[in-house]
Amino acid sequence: MFQQLIFNAIISGSIYALIAIGFTVIYKTVKFFHLAHGVVYTAGAYFAYTFLSWLSPQFNNSPAPTAFSFFLPIVLASVVGIGIDRFIYYPLRKQQASNLIFLLASFGVFIFLQNLIQLIYGAQILSIRTGPIKEGHHFLGAVITDVQLTIFFVSVILMLLLWFFIQRTKFGKAIRAVSDDPVAANVVGINPEKVILISFAIGSALAGAAGILISFETNIEPTMGFGALLKGVIASIVGGIGNIPGAVLGGFFLGLVENLGIWKISAGWKDCIAFVILIIFLLVRPWGILGTKTEKETI
Amino acid sequence: MEYLLHIFVLAGIYTILTLSLNLIVGFTGLPALGHAAFSCIGAYTSCLLALNMGLSPWIGLLIGAVIAAFSGLVVGYPAVRLKGDYFALATFGLGVIVYSVAKNWVGLTRGPMGLPGIPGFSFFGFPLSEIWSYLLVVLVFAAITIFVTKRIVHSPFGRVLRSIREDELASQALGKDTTKHKILVFVIGAFFAGIAGSLYAHYITFIDPSSFTVMESITILLMVIFGGMGSISGSIVGAGTLVLFPELLRFLGMPSSIAGPMRQMIYGLLLVVLMLKRPQGIMGTYRFK
Repeated sequence: MFQQLIFNAIISGSIYALIAIGFTVIYKTVKFFHLAHGVVYTAGAYFAYTFLSWLSPQFNNSPAPTAFSFFLPIVLASVVGIGIDRFIYYPLRKQQASNLIFLLASFGVFIFLQNLIQLIYGAQILSIRTGPIKEGHHFLGAVITDVQLTIFFVSVILMLLLWFFIQRTKFGKAIRAVSDDPVAANVVGINPEKVILISFAIGSALAGAAGILISFETNIEPTMGFGALLKGVIASIVGGIGNIPGAVLGGFFLGLVENLGIWKISAGWKDCIAFVILIIFLLVRPWGILGTKTEKETI
Repeated sequence: MEYLLHIFVLAGIYTILTLSLNLIVGFTGLPALGHAAFSCIGAYTSCLLALNMGLSPWIGLLIGAVIAAFSGLVVGYPAVRLKGDYFALATFGLGVIVYSVAKNWVGLTRGPMGLPGIPGFSFFGFPLSEIWSYLLVVLVFAAITIFVTKRIVHSPFGRVLRSIREDELASQALGKDTTKHKILVFVIGAFFAGIAGSLYAHYITFIDPSSFTVMESITILLMVIFGGMGSISGSIVGAGTLVLFPELLRFLGMPSSIAGPMRQMIYGLLLVVLMLKRPQGIMGTYRFK
């Protein structure tokens, strides 16, 4: 039982971590809470559903279009993120709007797109899964399915890729520069708008990927983005806002506490547990697990 | 006619909610995103007292409001120390926590099944079963709220609130205990939200957690912003317009499966457009800093 809980915690933790690192990459350059991140995740799942249910049967479910059905939704999720930035955030940046205005505008986008998805696909639960459900592998006294293994390994690969991108490439360096000091970055010839665009593209692609991965594990519904968003934001803050390893750590920490929590009480309390953790952190250690104390000034 | 009166009752209740949130958001500049939590607490307190102990709804309403105010104190005491975005997130979290308690504490609240058969108000033994008489009650409470808000805003206390909104550091430098003022205005807002919650519950005679979601809090905030941040008449206009407006969709003959998401889409769009074009709202004087 205990081993199973730990496995479940790792699986849900890797999804939370994936959402949280996407959120963090965006936060690093724009420094506000991009709440519409949650709906990009939902959009990823629904794009995957659309392609798999429409495109793959046209080619008799051969592997190439199926793989394409995974790849295309990620690109489209990325396009949605860039679109939100271009049409909503860019004009707000021009007006030098405050963080709260960004936050409320992004929540407005969240509400709009979530209900648009509901209008198109209906409020009912949909399922991507085709074919019979396979029994999982028995491993260390726990059962783990192929899908769960895929979720874990794909998430870890994406996290490592992101880490490599941020630390080892020129674009990653530019993101870090804009994150530390946008004005100085501009002085040395980095175009902040370009960097913001890249961070939205990558962050949204990660959210889309998380949405696609989870849609193989559970059913999808239009409101799925809300819980995911909360977990992503909370994981980012708990880990240390703007800190990518922190976001990963926060995601796994949240997965662990939640799963241990619902061991004792019912699963309906998940969101409640997550927020209680957030509030405890905001009061006791607002700079997060890996953040540094000097950042307290901004909180 | 019944229908029109029903809309007016709702508009009155939302006016109370909007005004009480405007005190916190528009006049003091605290971005509270969980106002429905307080009306949830008020509503459930008053209904449970009426259903389990047979208490008069009038007393229940008062106790509910006091409990809501007390929870405002418990939450406000730590929360007002957080800045901007983080205050918003913490109050947002409060909304989610109260909603999930109402939904999951089945032993007390009956969870998603809700509380049916809530008794209505009666006035010296005469039950206020006619809708117009209920409208009268709501209007009296709305008038009291408007009056109290006006008095608060124009009092020295209200001036301190606005000074906190404009420049908290300067108002601290003048020797004002800004933390205490912020907590107090949060408690006052919670008190009136509690009243609005029990007015709603005793009117509809059925409540379940879905009436107090985070979306509900955002709707109230949208009314505040739309009408005007820091404007009393703006709040009345905002609440009135946004209560009436979704009813128009019904007249267009949309089925509820389309009208529901459509209404929310319009709310979301309105929030975005307001933030882009007029973040202080129609009659507002303040925009978020």
